[in-house]
Amino acid sequence: MENKGPTVASVITAGLWSENPVLRLLLGMCPTLAVTTAVKPALTMGLSVIFVLICSNIVVSLMRNLLKPHLRILMFTLAIATFVTIADLYLKAFLPEMSATLGPYIPLIIVNCIIICRAEACASKCGLFISIVDALAMGVGFTVVLCILGAIRELLATGMVFDIMIMPKAFVPWAAMRMPVGAFITLGLMLGLVNLVTGKKA
Amino acid sequence: MLKKVWLYIEQSWLLIVSSFIFGLLIAVTNTAWQPRIEQNKKDKLNNLMNVLIADAEFELAVPDVQVDLGRGKFAKSNVYKAIGPAGSCKGYCFGAEGAGFADKIELVIAVDAAFEKIEGYSVLSSNETPGFGDQIVNDFYRQQFIGAPLGKLNLEKTGDDKKIDDEIVAISGATVSSTAVVNIFNNYLEQMKAKITAEGISADGK
Repeated sequence: MENKGPTVASVITAGLWSENPVLRLLLGMCPTLAVTTAVKPALTMGLSVIFVLICSNIVVSLMRNLLKPHLRILMFTLAIATFVTIADLYLKAFLPEMSATLGPYIPLIIVNCIIICRAEACASKCGLFISIVDALAMGVGFTVVLCILGAIRELLATGMVFDIMIMPKAFVPWAAMRMPVGAFITLGLMLGLVNLVTGKKA
Repeated sequence: MLKKVWLYIEQSWLLIVSSFIFGLLIAVTNTAWQPRIEQNKKDKLNNLMNVLIADAEFELAVPDVQVDLGRGKFAKSNVYKAIGPAGSCKGYCFGAEGAGFADKIELVIAVDAAFEKIEGYSVLSSNETPGFGDQIVNDFYRQQFIGAPLGKLNLEKTGDDKKIDDEIVAISGATVSSTAVVNIFNNYLEQMKAKITAEGISADGK
């Protein structure tokens, strides 16, 4: 029956583009808007989400045949909360400054819709390999969008990307880009651009 | 009765077993990394204190000093004594907190050994507005406190920010955050001085 499920290529394409969690499904908006003031926190958040997605998809896929329908969501949340706690502890132990920068947004991955969406839509129905590929594709799709958003905001807010000065000395930083308004405007423009490219009407 | 218990186990065994396994996983991870996390916190505090009072070793002078934050709120803070290379007291450092614009602001405040003037402050944590309130970490604002008399500080919207006295010039566009820092100083300084003196440590650091 496994061959009737999604193929590796379709899962990768879905995660990176056609069902990109941020640009197409508009999931995970809280970290997308909150931690993209620069590339480094955006990248850290993205990698944390990839770790949690892969681990939770593995666990959910392995136990999919044992799950009782009424305990399904509870089991997903239990698995997700465990791996988010591990990711949070890792950052506090090995990247304390980044942990302080990201603040509550790492623990908030527990309620990130992308994770529970993939557990429900893919891992609870598919085999281990497809579940891992799905987690990786969705996680990379999420991370790439966060990094692009972070790079645009960091560039316009400070003139730098990854602490490397890009803009000429005469450039006047746009303070608004570091604030929530900068996140909303940049994400809105990115969504508009994607809709334009795909020919999707509002 | 036995049938009900069996039904309960049949329905929930996976949840119970998973809870134990996940709980164990978190416990093992926490045990492995917690010493490092605690060390990171100590290092951060030590680094901040070393920025405020250079060339000093810090030892815990008075633990858990209770400070009245007003409106029925209290906070506890450790007071650290800065000991210079010659063994003399160079000053004191302590954590301080108060309400900011967006969230709680946590500072490390340093005062001289005689408790007569402020040596400075560093920001331990804050979530103030980027580009505005987060300028409380900048030298423009922080340097106004270095050498200021230990007493009630007043916040002014305009003035000479280079003049060291009890008047602090607010950050433009961040009056709430500026006020929050001044309020933290006003809340803590007198109370800390009184508590430390009450602990039997004289004002000259002996």
